[in-house]
Formats: sequence, C-alpha cells, structure tokens
Amino acid sequence: MSTQVKEVGAGAAKHRQARQSKSDSTPRSRPALLLDENIIEIVSDSGEGAQRCGQSFAAIAARMGNGIWTVQIIPAEIQPPHRSIAGASGNRVRIAAHRVTNGGDEADLVVAFNEQVLLGRLRAGEIRPGGIILLESMWRDDKDPEIAAAYARVCEEVRSAGYRLYEVPMEAECVKHVPDPRRGKNMFALGMLCGIYSLDVELARSQVRFVFAKKDPKIIDANIELLDAGRAWAEANLDLKFAIPATRPKEPQVVMNGNAALALGVVASGMEVCSMYPITPATSASHYLSDIFDKVGCVVHQAEDEIAACTFAIGASYAGKCAVTITSGPGLSLKQEALGLAVMGEIPLVVVDVQRGGPSTGQPTKPEQSDLLAACFGGHGDAPKVVMAVSSIEDCFYSLITARKIAETFNMVVVVLSDASLATAQQPFPRPSFSEGWLAPPVDQSAVPEGAKPYDWDPQTGIAARFIPGQPGGMHCLTGLAHDRFSHVAYDPAVNQEGIRQRARKLATLQATLKTPPLYGGEEGELLLIGWGSTRGAIEEAVDMLRGKKKRVSSMHLKFLQPMASGIGEVMRRFDKVMTVENNWSDTLDDEIADKQSQRFTNLGWLLRAHYLVDVTCWGQVRGQPMKPGAVVEAALTRLGRK
Amino acid sequence: MDQSSTPLAETKTAAAAAADAGASRPALFALYGTLEGLRYDYPLVLVEGEAPVLRPLTGIMDDILRRTAPPGTDGEALRQHVLRLEHAIRRRVARGERDSLASLWWRCAAELLAASGEAPFGPLDTDLDRAREALNVDGLVIDCDANAPEEVLVHAWKAVYAAKGKAFRKKVDGLILRLTDILKAEFMKSDAARTPQALELSIGSSFGSDFDFGALSRVLSHGSAHTPALDARQERIQRVLQVLKSQRFYPPGRSSERKPGQPNPHNFIFESCAEALDAFRERLDEIVDFVKALVIAELEIANKYRADLHDPVFEAFDESDLSAEQLALLPSSLVCLRDGTTDTADTVRAFEALASGLPIKVLIQTDDIVGDTSPEPSRTAFGVGSAHFAGMAMGLNNAYVLQASSALLCRVRERLIAGMSHDGPALFSVFSGAVKTASHVSPYLMAAAASEARAFPTFAYDPAAGPDWAARFDLSENPQAEADWPTHRLEYEDEALQRQAEDVAFTYADFVAADRRYGRYCRPVARADWRDDMVPAADCLMLAQAGEGYVLTAGADNALYRNVIDDKIIEAARRCLDAWRRLQELAGINNSHAIRLVAREKAAWQAQAAAATPEPASAETAEAAPAVTPAQPAAPAAAAAPEEPQETAEHAEAAGQSDDAYIETARCTTCNECTQINNCLFAYNENQQAYIADPDAGTFRELVEAAESCQVSIIHPGKPRNPDEPNLAELIARAEPFN
Amino acid sequence: MTATMTQCLLRLVEEHHTLADYQGDVVPRWCAGCGDNAILAAMQRLCRDEQLPPEKTVFVSGIGCSSRLPHYMHAYGFHGVHGRALPVAEGVRLRRPDLHIFVTTGDGDCCSIGAAHWIHAIRYNMNMTVLLHDNQIYGLTKKQVSPTSPRGLKSNTTPRGAYLNPLNPLTVTLGVSNVSFVAQAVDWIPDLLYDIIAEAHRHHGLGFVRILQRCPEFMDHRFDEAVRDPSKTRILVHGDGLRLKPELSRIYHNKEVHDPLDMPRALAIAALEDEIPVGILYKNPAVPCYEDVREAERPNTPDLIRTVLDEEFDKVTIWPDEQEPPAAAE
Repeated sequence: MSTQVKEVGAGAAKHRQARQSKSDSTPRSRPALLLDENIIEIVSDSGEGAQRCGQSFAAIAARMGNGIWTVQIIPAEIQPPHRSIAGASGNRVRIAAHRVTNGGDEADLVVAFNEQVLLGRLRAGEIRPGGIILLESMWRDDKDPEIAAAYARVCEEVRSAGYRLYEVPMEAECVKHVPDPRRGKNMFALGMLCGIYSLDVELARSQVRFVFAKKDPKIIDANIELLDAGRAWAEANLDLKFAIPATRPKEPQVVMNGNAALALGVVASGMEVCSMYPITPATSASHYLSDIFDKVGCVVHQAEDEIAACTFAIGASYAGKCAVTITSGPGLSLKQEALGLAVMGEIPLVVVDVQRGGPSTGQPTKPEQSDLLAACFGGHGDAPKVVMAVSSIEDCFYSLITARKIAETFNMVVVVLSDASLATAQQPFPRPSFSEGWLAPPVDQSAVPEGAKPYDWDPQTGIAARFIPGQPGGMHCLTGLAHDRFSHVAYDPAVNQEGIRQRARKLATLQATLKTPPLYGGEEGELLLIGWGSTRGAIEEAVDMLRGKKKRVSSMHLKFLQPMASGIGEVMRRFDKVMTVENNWSDTLDDEIADKQSQRFTNLGWLLRAHYLVDVTCWGQVRGQPMKPGAVVEAALTRLGRK
Repeated sequence: MDQSSTPLAETKTAAAAAADAGASRPALFALYGTLEGLRYDYPLVLVEGEAPVLRPLTGIMDDILRRTAPPGTDGEALRQHVLRLEHAIRRRVARGERDSLASLWWRCAAELLAASGEAPFGPLDTDLDRAREALNVDGLVIDCDANAPEEVLVHAWKAVYAAKGKAFRKKVDGLILRLTDILKAEFMKSDAARTPQALELSIGSSFGSDFDFGALSRVLSHGSAHTPALDARQERIQRVLQVLKSQRFYPPGRSSERKPGQPNPHNFIFESCAEALDAFRERLDEIVDFVKALVIAELEIANKYRADLHDPVFEAFDESDLSAEQLALLPSSLVCLRDGTTDTADTVRAFEALASGLPIKVLIQTDDIVGDTSPEPSRTAFGVGSAHFAGMAMGLNNAYVLQASSALLCRVRERLIAGMSHDGPALFSVFSGAVKTASHVSPYLMAAAASEARAFPTFAYDPAAGPDWAARFDLSENPQAEADWPTHRLEYEDEALQRQAEDVAFTYADFVAADRRYGRYCRPVARADWRDDMVPAADCLMLAQAGEGYVLTAGADNALYRNVIDDKIIEAARRCLDAWRRLQELAGINNSHAIRLVAREKAAWQAQAAAATPEPASAETAEAAPAVTPAQPAAPAAAAAPEEPQETAEHAEAAGQSDDAYIETARCTTCNECTQINNCLFAYNENQQAYIADPDAGTFRELVEAAESCQVSIIHPGKPRNPDEPNLAELIARAEPFN
Repeated sequence: MTATMTQCLLRLVEEHHTLADYQGDVVPRWCAGCGDNAILAAMQRLCRDEQLPPEKTVFVSGIGCSSRLPHYMHAYGFHGVHGRALPVAEGVRLRRPDLHIFVTTGDGDCCSIGAAHWIHAIRYNMNMTVLLHDNQIYGLTKKQVSPTSPRGLKSNTTPRGAYLNPLNPLTVTLGVSNVSFVAQAVDWIPDLLYDIIAEAHRHHGLGFVRILQRCPEFMDHRFDEAVRDPSKTRILVHGDGLRLKPELSRIYHNKEVHDPLDMPRALAIAALEDEIPVGILYKNPAVPCYEDVREAERPNTPDLIRTVLDEEFDKVTIWPDEQEPPAAAE
C-alpha cells in the first residue's frame, strides 16, 4: 500500500517533467448562473466510457452535497454498431440543490460523442426543447464523406430545431495529452461538465483517483490531466457557467444502484444461500453478490434453471436459514409451482423479482410493473404469499432484511418486487450501520419439546414453529400433499380445509401488524394518487407540482401489496377521486370498443377495487421508461377534468 | 556449478584483487568471479502469503516473462527490458539494500526510465508496466550473507504459523459461532426476543414506520410457551466460549470477535532454548484449558453432552490427556542459535529441547566449519562441533532434521516447510558460508562449495515420513550423491592458447584450499613445473599411492596452478570422505550390509552352480525370476472373486430335501404377499424378510397358496403336517413344483 | 484432531437403534408384491446397520409411487414436487455436511420431468445417495409409458404400443462429467440390493443406484424371466466392489470381475441388452464434491458480516467534512 502511495507522487512528478501540463493555465472566470436543479445526459457508443463519466459526475456532485439521481441509458443490444441511433449508451444525471427521488422529465444539457446517439435521445423526446448540446466535432471532417454529411445534416436539424449546439473538438484536445484519445475522452468530458457546473476541482480529482484506484498511478495521472484539460477548455471556450447550491451532508451517505443495494441487503439479512439463474435485469444483483457473498462464507449458486434455482433455495431453507432466489418476470412464472410447495410446506423463502417489460421476453432491459398480480396469485390453488415492493434505493437494501424476518417469523414465502429502473438508478442514502438484530436466527438444533407437532398451528395466528432436520424428536415428512398437524397425508375434507384456513390466516395476522401508509400532501382532497414500487419519487414530485398549482391532490405509496395495511379504504373515502399510477397497462375508455364492463385495470387497480369496493380509476403507461413527474401531472390534471 | 564451459582465462574476476592478498581460489571458482552477472538462486524473495514461500528473483522474472512475453522476436524487447530491470534490482540488493520486491521494482523502473531518457508510455515504460501487472507476489528481497539463514528460517516459520493460524481460526471461530448459536436459538424462543424493541431492531430501518411493533409483539408472544434450556448447560457453554475467545495462541481473524482490551497473542520466537522450554511450561495450564474447551464444545454442538457421564471426565482432565493431534493445532516455537554468538551451554539445552518431543524448532547457524589452526576440527571450537549437530540429532527419535548450506536453502524449501510443520521438534543446521577468513570469496560460493565438497552435505531426516531409513532419510539434493566427489569439466586455454579440458573432482581439499588460513599447507606450482608424480587430491585419497596430492587453483594472475597440499589436508579430507560414506550408507548407497549379503549369496550360488550341471542351473534361475511375478496379479484377483466355502452349500441342500416347509429368507423381497395370507404362519425377521414363524399356526393350503403367490418363489411348502386337512392330495400336487 | 477424544466421549452416550426405530408411523400403501417394499426394507436395514441418527437423516423425493418412501421412514422427509427432488436435496446438502441424504425417485420423476436436474446433479456430484426406482411405467397415474418403458409396451397413452426405444439411465449417467458412482440393483435380490445401497451410501459423492423394480399392478411378469433364470443376471464382483455371499453365488453363476474404475467396460456393461448387470459399474472417489469446492474459507460470524459490509460501504461512502474517510475511499 505505502509503495502505491509513494508511486503516485513519483508518477506525478515524472509527468510534470515529461511534458508541460495545460491544466495550470488559469481560465478567465465568468460569474456562474445559480440554478435550483438541472438534468444532464452524456451519451456515446458503448465502450467509450460515457457511463463512467456520468457516474463520476454524479458522485462528485453528491460528495459536494447536491441531491442526485442517475439513470443508466442502456443500448438494446450488447454490441450495437458504432454511431447508431439505437446504440446510445450512457447516463442521465439529475442534480439539484435539494433531495432528488427520480430521473425527472427532459434533459437540460447533453454531451454526445457522436451525432447519431444524440439523434437517438432527441427522437425519444428526452431532451428539453432549446436545451444545450455539446457535440464531438471530429466527425465534421471525417474521411468518410457520408459520415461528414450525416454529421452536418444533424447539426443543421438540431440548430433549426432551436437547440443550443456547441461543437467541441474533444478528440483533438485529448490527443494533446494521451496517445489514445478514445480511452480518455470521457474524462475530458467530465472535466468540461465540472467546469460548466462549477464542481469542486479537488473533489473531482480525488474521485478520478478513486475510480482508477486499482490502476497504475500513471493512468491516474493521465486521467487527472484530461480532467483538468477538459475543465480548462470549457472555461476558456464556453459561455456556460452554472452553479447548483449544495449543502455537505451531516451524516455519511452511500451512493449505489438498486441492485447493488439488494445484494448488500442479502448479506446484511444473514441469509446464507442465494440460488439464481441468469436473467435480465435481475442478474447484476447476483453478480455483485457473487463477488461479496463468498467473503462472508456464504454461497451464490447458479442453478441449471429457474425451477432448480427455486427448489434449491427451498431445500436450503428447509434444512437451515431462510434462503433467497433472485429473478425477473419470466423466472417468476417458472418458479410458481415450487413456490406453491414452499407455501404448502410452510418453508420460509424470499423471492426477489426485478420486474421488466412483459409478457414473454418483452423488454428485458426496460422497466415495467406488471408482475404484481402474478406475485400475488400466480400459482395454482390458493397459495397465500407476502408481497412487498421497494420504492427507493434505500428500500432495496432494507427490504431483504425485512422480507427475511417476515418469512422466518411466519414461515411464509415473501416476494420482493423491484424493477429495472431502480436496478440501475443511483441515489445517495444514509450509510446503514449494521445491527446484529438484522441477521437470521441460528438454525435451531435443540430437541423439540415432548409431543410437539410439526404443524402445531396457533389457533389465533396460524403460526407454527418449524422443525429443522437435526432437531431430535422433530422427525416428520414434509409434503406438498394436503396434510394434518402431524404432516400426515390426509384427504379428509375437514383436514384440507383446516390447513388452507391456517395458511391464509397468517396473512391476516401479518396485516394486523401493519400501519396505514402515510399520505403525501393533504389528509383529504380532490384526488388521491396511489402507487407502488419505483414510481414513488415521480408521483410525490408530481403532487408537489400540482399542489403548487393549488390542486388538492395527495398521494399514498404502498410497500405491502399482500396483505395491504389496514385503513386504506378509509383513506380513499376521504378523497373525491382515487387514481392508481403505475407502469403497467390499463384500458382507457377513450378506445371506442372499451367500456366499464370490458375495461381491464392496472395491477394495483384490480386489487384496490376488489378489496375496498371503491371506484378506483387507473392511469398506467408501458413505455419502458421510468415514471416521469411531468407525465403524472398531466394524467392527474386530466383526471381532475382540466382541458 | 554448471557454468564451467566459459574458458577460464577469459573470465574477468572481481576476486582477482583479493587474490593479491595471497589467497588462491579453486579453479572451478574462477568462473564465478562476478556473481552480479549471473542468474542464480539469490537474491531470494521471501514471498508473503502464498506458497512457495521462497522464490529466486530470477524464477519470478522468468515466470512473468512466460506469461507476458510472446515467444520469438515479438517478445524479445519485453524480455530485454525485464532482464535489465532484474539486473538493476540485483545490483541494489548486492549493495546491501533490504526492501520489498514491489518497492525495489518501482525504484529500479523509475531509475531505468530516467536513464533511458524515454518518455512515459514509451516502449520501456509500457513493457515494464505490462510486466508489473503480471507480478503477483511480493516480499522482502535478501542476498546470500551472514543474516540469510536466520531471515529465511524465521520467514518459513512465520509462513507455517500463518497457515496453522488460518486453520485454527476456521475451526475455533466455527465452534464459537455454533456455540453462540445454541444460546441465540434459545434466546429467540424466549419472550425477550419478542419485545417491540427487539422486533424493531430486526426490521430494516426504512420499513420501521410500516409496522406496529406493539401489535407484532402481541401476535408473536401468543401461545408457543417455551421452556428455556437448562441453566447448567448455558453456563457451561458460556465458560467454554470464554476460554475459546480469550485464546492467545494466534491473533484474531476476520471472523473473530475483537474486544478492545484483548491481550496480544503469545510470542513464539525465542533467544534461547531455555526460554522456549520455560514458556511452554508456563503456558501448559492455558493449553490444557483450551483443549478441554474444544472437546466440550464439540460434544455440545453434537447435542451429546451428558453431565452425569462427562462432567467427571473433564474434572480429571489434565496434561496427560493432551494428544499430539491436539498440540499440532497450536503454534510451534522457534529458537535461532549461531555459533560464536550463542554460548555452548545453551547449545546443550538445544538437545534437551529436541529430546523433549515438544514442537520446538531450532536453527543452528554455522559460519565456519573448519578449525582456525588446521582443517583438523579442534576439540574445543563449538563452531566446528555445530557442523556435526544434525548428524547427532538424527539419534533422537522424533526430531525432524535438515542440514543444508545457505546456497541450497531455496532448493530445499519443501523440506524446510515440512520441518516447520512437523508435529514434533526440528533441527535446522545451516552453514552460512560467511567465513570471515575467506572474505575474498562470496558467502554464496563458500556455502555452495561446502555442499559440493561434502564438507557440509545436504540431507534431511523426517521421522514422520515412514517406518524405515529408506523412507525417512534423503541425500538426493547433493550433486552426484552416489559418487565420492562430484566431478566437473574444467576448460581453459594453455599458454599455446589451445583449449584444454579435463574432468576435475571437487574435493574437501579444494574447498579448504580456498581458505586463506591454510595457505601454509599449500604450495602453488606453475604449469612449467608440473611433474608426473603429482596426483589429483581425489586419486591420492583413493589409492594410498605415493606422490604429491594437488588441487587445481586459479592464482592472482588468473592462471592455472597445481596447488600441492600437505598431508594434514589429505587427512582431513579422508575423515570428510569417511563421514560422507556413512551418510551414503544411510541413504542406501553402497550399503555395506547389502554388499556383504549379495557377496555371500553369490558365492553360495556359484558353489551350487559348480556342483550341478549348467542346464538345470540356468533353468533354475529361469524359474526363480518369473516365480515372483505371477503373484502380483494373483493377489487382486483373489480379492476380486471372494472365496466361497462349500459347507454352507451342503447344509442348504439338506434343507432342500427336508419335509418341513421353509423359506429362502435371504431372497425374500418383503412384498407382503405371504404375511397378508397369514401373519402368524409367516413373519418378518429383524431384516424385514419372511420366515416360517410357526408351521402349526396355519394350514397346508395357506402354505401352498403363499408359495404360488410368492413373486420370487422362495416358499417351499414341504409335506403337510396335519394329515386330516381336506383336499390334501390336490394340495400336495400343487406344492410339488415348489418343493 | 480432537475428534479422537470427542468420539470416545460420544460413544459413552450412544443409543442403539433397532430396525423398528426407522419404521414410520404410516403403514406402506404400496400394492402387495410391489418392489418398493424390498427397497424400503433394505433402506431400513441400512439405517440400522449404519446406526444413522434418525434426526440426522433426510429422505427427499419427488412425485410417484417411489416418492412415497419418505413417509414410511422414521426420519426427516421431504416429499416435494414432481421431478425436483434432486435440486431440493442439493439445497439441503449445501450447508449441512452433517446430514445423511437419500433421494428416492422414479423413472418418470428422474428421467422425464426431472431430466435436467438429473444430469446436473450428477455433474455437481454432491454427497448423497440417489435411488432410482425404475419400474419402467407410470404407476401412480395408472399406466402410462415412461422414458424407460420397453418399445411396444401397450399403455393408456400408447394403446398400440410404445413408439420409441427406451432411454438407458445407466449409459446416460455414465456419460455425464464428474460422475462418481453408478450401480444397478434389482429388487428381487434383496441382499445385493442392500449391499449396493450400502456401497452407494459409504461413497463420498453422489451415489446413483438404478433399481429395477417390479410393478405387479401394471407391469406384471415384466421381469419374470430374470427372476426365474439366474443366468440372465450378470453379477459384477470386485475386491473394491461387490462380494457375493456363498448362498447367492450358488444360485448366480453368471459373474464378472469388473474394476469399478474401468469406465470403458462400465459403459459396455451398462449397454448390455440380453442380460441384467447387477453391481457397481463405476466408482471414483477422487471426483470433487460441489459442496466441498464451495466450502466457506471462514465461518460467517456476525463480526465477519459487519467487517465485509463496512468494507463495501466504504467504497461508496460520501463523508461529511468533519469525518475522516477511511483508506479505501482515496
């Protein structure tokens, strides 16, 4: 370690004498324009490092104390052709003077490494009309006349559309500093952004050092040089200078994406086995978990298929601590029969479903919230499971601890619903401080009390202590067949009904311990928006905007979908209108063919209407994008009958 | 010493200067004048972390090149650059620099880059970076000097200590975890685990506001009355945990619970054997308590501790209950002794320590293996005595013994580790080669020479390796171990500049001749005055023929001399050879017993052969040879097809003819057919296989029907017992096929 | 190490189990004459002779006649879903080296709906004993062809006879990488059945035993020829395999000395058409077990979890001014 540090110094010195660094030339400073928030996108062909640039930019801002939210821009294919509209890869970063809970609506400033990826974002309507565009200019005089022409065309189009276009000779500038500019452009861009948004120079440098920590000191020096160069260039050549007020956090914060948080949550929950089968977008959680789980002496098992992943986890749970299996929609469908077994045998199990577009293969990389009903009712027969949803990155971490506790307390299957937007989004949250209480209880190997039965359902709660192999006197044969308290197979009508009652009762018991979710906005009013999962930030921001417009709108966000906390019905009745806001489909009555009889509702819509006999209307979209506050505002206003 | 192909006269020798002081070097040394230029076992890297714990710098570099440099000319530049770096590092180390490989690398690389005047990211820089990325080990880099033996031994001991610690913690932390789990499991069943506060702590913070913990607590506390485990057990487990957690044999690991005020682990490296022995006695109680705790823990975890049975056992538990396996868990002690510095008294204690059977590892370093006044070992000098220490230590029953000069330490590293890991005591006798009186020759060469010259042979004795000497004793690390002296090809140019070559044995005499102290016993004779009655020392030792023994040496002028040696040296060389031959015999080379036996047999056979006619004799031998071989395959065949005693067969036959009904119980498949017909007549034995329980408990008809329904037809109804049973004739007919 | 001493002390408290101690409180509901009875009896004998602690013994099964076996044992049982017995058993094994695990499955359960798991279970080679009750027919669902049914067999789904050649579980299993133990037994030679299951149990790794089993209900007389004519059964004997009791070797003269490490011969034997090989076809204790390969480097104590979590958080922590970032952060 010490040698590493020494070398950083030595390397730096080496470079100073090696060549004159431009970064020292002091730029003429311009007064910065104060902003409350801004949305920045940086896009490139995949492999050009826009992702890293965006994340570093966000991290620096976060370390300064800005609220941030990042959204990954992922190309549909793994290796899309260079300079293609569909190939845009990068990051959206929303920076604000206040806490940010979602990716916002349209970008204010875009850095693009070529005009095609820029076009991709424009076409998707992701960039604010009149927004600022910084575009790599090398293509203008490319050897290939077609490319040069295409570039010119786009520039023309963009200008005429009223965007503020700046052509930046990024590559030309980078060559002055490194042999291979393609491998450094992103740091130059990062420098520009730091300059434009007046981010702290030292923080920026230390961030770069951190990002390249594993690399040779020379690499670090080179990248810092590019960073400084970018900043200098921006301050020297651009008439853009913004500042977004920041307040350094009082408590340590951690920045990570939802799937990383899920993985850390698994570790913190004390579960020992995660068995999974690769599937997008859930897999990145397992990737990270595979890296760290061994370090705590636990195992990520990649099974031969989704069914094996589930039954393997069930076996591990049955003989030890509660296990977890992580998957996405199609995987959930495949696991359903096995989940039924876990319910029947009352084996604790945590299932994480990082939802994606469906049905079938659908949109593997895009967010959607259409697995709720499958999670609640997917299996055959009556198989009561607990269903929770996470609504923030922080939730992703704590949900695993909570789910495991519920699963083991009630010997139930707990499904945790996340989705593709949380999976890749980044947001700071208070650094958790570990508590031993989080950990799974030890595997009890003590003798079971005389005369205890394997399914000694408590008449009030339906809960029965489970016997774990190794416990003397606990021998019994767990079975997926209808069984009595001795776990003996029984086709006797009374016994079957008894078993089903007890397993259902546990949901009621859990429900009795849940508090009514708080309201965001007012306690009563014209319109209540109800959502679940990743849409929380967007909905609550929309509520703020609407209340800003003097609309009496509130929102309620559900973390428990099955059972639903008590009191929700009463709350709904306090509002004139109730509307669910979700990333899944609901027929709209604008379609001529659709009417009240035929209308299909959003997932949550069905549940609320069925549970509470309230005429809940639904607004849903399945555009494969994270929910946007603006869209919610529009929907709410429509519902309120404006226009 | 395989470099002997470079013509002598051409070799530039750094030692030439020293040679002016009047000392002459063995001719074969002349080739190693400038060690810096050569790639050999030193500098040595004391590798941190993974095995092998000792690696020559050259080995590491070659390994890097194998992985990074493409074969052929493409990789040539890279190879050159890396070798330049290696040379730079070797130079620094030779100048006495002591540092880790990583930092030496950085410094030398920067130095080379600066010297080259190349820009960063240039070819040299990039190549070294590529190599650097392939460098996956680090550790202190040492040269072969007076400190080398101790540095190497301590490093090896630490490596084994670390490995043992890892295994120890895995076991002990595991036991601690599972004992704690027993207590925790009880706690989880208590109401204390169901208070609202406890529950709140067990729910992820961001979901805390979603629960009414009061309600949850009420729900969970409902019913499920639980009787907590016996306090006695809880207390016992607490006590055991206390002992296991406060152990001071190894430092805590990542899995271990760290408490602020925890005392440091014990020290296990000692100045003297006395200290080591005292320390062990002091810690004995601690060891006993710890081992006791281990055993109790294992019983508790198996749910099998029964106070009434086990308490008395552990009351009486004392050091006599400690087994070697248990002690093997704990660290061994290391004592480093050095002739000259250590006083003789403590060296004697070393024997006590080794004889004690305790896991104490002793290094005895010798810097001089010949006497001051004459090559004849003087009775008083400890130093010389210490050279024979290893030989003596082999007499102790369970001590591991390794002798090697520091030149060979790297080559015997497995032996080194084996000795350190050995359950019992171990002695390491090392000759450093740092002979003060031979400062004109590098310690590495002295050490190597001592090994070559049989003056300090390399051998290992591992009492755990097997039942006999053949398995335990190893002499194989010595050059040409089956010979008296190793011989090498010496090439040089005579005054006519003609290339000459001769095979030269490297003897004890050659080794001694290198020592300035014995100049007076040698007489260099220039080529011009060579006479035919001069005999190479080796021959002179063999045949006690008259003539002057000489060894070939290189003079200050770097010319070849015959160095005629005095009888004193010849005598010493003879003693050395005698000692060497004794070792050879231990290793089974020229075993005198065997030789005699063979001789006797041969004589006997010849006598026989003489008596009988030639043909049968040859036939006899022809048989004698193969007679052995078929036995080999025969053995497994016998095992494969197990023998089948006949008597049981007859017995079964007898049963077959009897009139009583019977069942071939062994073949019964428990299919319930017969027992369903009549479960008094037919019953299952302790293996769930049917037999006739009571022939009178059922009718002959039932027997016959059972026989007919039996899937494997193993029921034999025999003859009816009750002549009055109806339709007997028909039944007997039906029974026929089954009898 | 201390095992030696601990074991003596354990012996002090050993309680002896009789065969009855392993008989479940449910009476077997198999048809009279069903081969499963013989397998159950052999299983209970083994438990008694090895004195397996009932609380440390787990029987995992899928669905089918064979899979009822766990209900008839007095031990821990897991009667799960169709075809998934093996992954369940793997999950049980992963963190529980202390348990004795037996999997009872059938030709439909293992070779049809659970085929994927079967192949991969062989490859994982986790330490357990797998008994494939192969009666070559679906019994519980009333006579449909199974993958191992003989070609031409008339069943409810193949009224005009089975269309395809049967799958050979032995050759398939022998063909999977990491295979470590393959044997074949027949329910009508109980002593060999017992010996073979015992061998499989003592083997460290996945012991796969295919048991040809008679189904008097739907496959009556299927094996009569083999049952009546001992020469149709080829017994595989070897010093490192099966040893034949005298009374049996009096009946079974068709013997072959087969080295269980000889894979080519094992494949040839497995493919025999006209004879039924009985014995150990392949045994290689050197194949590593998945659970051993994945064994944790150190126990997962709360302190370890705390340490690792903190290390990971440190990588992504934003520290307030007053607090010192740890070394990892910069």
